[in-house]
Amino acid sequence: MFDKILIANRGEIALRILRACKELGIASVAVHSTADADAMHVRLADESVCIGPPPSKDSYLNVPALLAACEITGADAVHPGYGFLSENARFAEILADHNLHFIGPKAEHIRLMGDKIEAKKTAKRLGIPVVPGSDGAVGPNDDGMAIARSIGFPVLVKAASGGGGRGMKVAQGPDDLMLALSTAANEAKSAFGDASVYLEKYLQKPRHIEIQVLGDGRGGAIHLGERDCSLQRRHQKVWEEGPSPALDAAARARIGTTVAKAMQQMKYLGVGTVEFLYEDGEFYFIEMNTRIQVEHPVTEMITGIDLVLEQIRIAAGGDLPMTQDEVTISGHAIECRVNAENPVTFRPSPGKILKYHPPGGLGVRIDSAVYQGYVIPPYYDSLVGKLIVQGKTRVECLMRLRRALDEMVVDGIETTLPLFRALVREADIIDGDYHIHWLEQYLAGQPQS
Amino acid sequence: MARQPDDKAAAKFPASDSALIRELALLLDETSLTEIEIERAGLRVRVARNISIAASIPASVPAPGVAPASSASASAVPPTDLAMHPGAVPSPMVGTAYWASEPGAKPFIEVGTKVSVGQTLLIIEAMKTMNQIPSPRAGTITQILVEDGQPVEFGEPLVIIE
Repeated sequence: MFDKILIANRGEIALRILRACKELGIASVAVHSTADADAMHVRLADESVCIGPPPSKDSYLNVPALLAACEITGADAVHPGYGFLSENARFAEILADHNLHFIGPKAEHIRLMGDKIEAKKTAKRLGIPVVPGSDGAVGPNDDGMAIARSIGFPVLVKAASGGGGRGMKVAQGPDDLMLALSTAANEAKSAFGDASVYLEKYLQKPRHIEIQVLGDGRGGAIHLGERDCSLQRRHQKVWEEGPSPALDAAARARIGTTVAKAMQQMKYLGVGTVEFLYEDGEFYFIEMNTRIQVEHPVTEMITGIDLVLEQIRIAAGGDLPMTQDEVTISGHAIECRVNAENPVTFRPSPGKILKYHPPGGLGVRIDSAVYQGYVIPPYYDSLVGKLIVQGKTRVECLMRLRRALDEMVVDGIETTLPLFRALVREADIIDGDYHIHWLEQYLAGQPQS
Repeated sequence: MARQPDDKAAAKFPASDSALIRELALLLDETSLTEIEIERAGLRVRVARNISIAASIPASVPAPGVAPASSASASAVPPTDLAMHPGAVPSPMVGTAYWASEPGAKPFIEVGTKVSVGQTLLIIEAMKTMNQIPSPRAGTITQILVEDGQPVEFGEPLVIIE
């Protein structure tokens, strides 16, 4: 087991990792920018090292500073959290070169799944159903129009090096295709340094359903059920729940088994999430995330498994916590990502939290690094915290969520709490009848104050 | 950056309480720490330098359980205030600070040395590379705030130039 873990992240996930370290009795090092000197996890960690000024590229993405921090503290492992360097294969390799453990998947798998075209090819090869699309990149010399016609309009132009919902453009019909291709390529070049794009069939009203997996790196892998993350704004997840209201036990078992088998074949190490679009009873692979995800608590609540703890144990050579047959999904959980944004305009609202009162009670969990008096810095993402609620049934879960949202107080900054209070009372949400365009359509129909 | 005494140091403290407190007080004097707190076998001891007003920590700590940072002393100037000193030179990187270019060599500077812009003050080593830290301005070294071989973080005050 590791002696000392350096947490190469910030905010709520850094606190989450810290908690797992404490519970495992592993010493913790919190690295932070000058803007995060008062962060909760920095205060609670055994040691802290300031690694740079506020900009991420000079701090949380600053590999030499991270390595130097490992050196001066004697850390023997690094947990990258999500975002930042968590899916940077080169970073994983550099750590290995310095005899430091990277708590995450093997670098080759990070690299494989980071290239969305290669990921899709791999998924196909492993028997995972994929979205019909171009077979690889569509370059200026390819007949994009012919490929699009064979897929069938509307089509989606996607950046090969994108992911996380970024770098995508829709072409409704042949007239839109050329512009969509060139715009997407230009944006991809500037955002990801790679202009490669590929085409996929654009599904009209799919749900986003993802499967959580856990692999021991030696051919053992289990799936931990699904999360339905269809409620998104600008491709960013806002509300996630598990199990999905749209799946029955048969569909769940079918896709779960397919995914677990693929992970076993790959000899996947650590946690991962295989993401699908689900429409008309069919699953279509879109991408795999080779890291812990923001919405991991949903799975933790309904399986009883501490995913971050398992990440650490497995990275240290441990076995899977249980066999597939021993995995039980019980009850229902919903997570709301509360952001420091105006609930109508979504304009960011960093600043000081004057009053903070988290909700409590049975089945209520808050994963947040804020506290009363904390100043949300303007340099990073706007996540205030995640409210996760669990119930024996989806109905009970919704009632509990409604109660918890009404109890929660975050004053001094604007937050998206009012949006969630409205959503939890919406008929479609209560019925579980929504898809990936639902939220944006709902927001478009709302009065703009 | 607050540092805890490591386990090896703690192990050699004598059993009796007053001797322990004496040891901690000595440690405070020898280092640049403002306070030391240790807890062992039901006994918690905190030794602090010249605290005039203790931060009021309510008996029931608020839910996040975050203790407010202890207030710095009003009389003596503890190291944490020195980062605000106008003559402070902050570290531009994370690493280990050395006074000289190699062990046994003469230190680059000492208290009283007059330095010019760009003159090497210290070496900070990270991952086997030695980085010379240049002086940002001309002046006289009035304080050297890091020990030879001390780990430093970004922004940590290294020296005072006045």
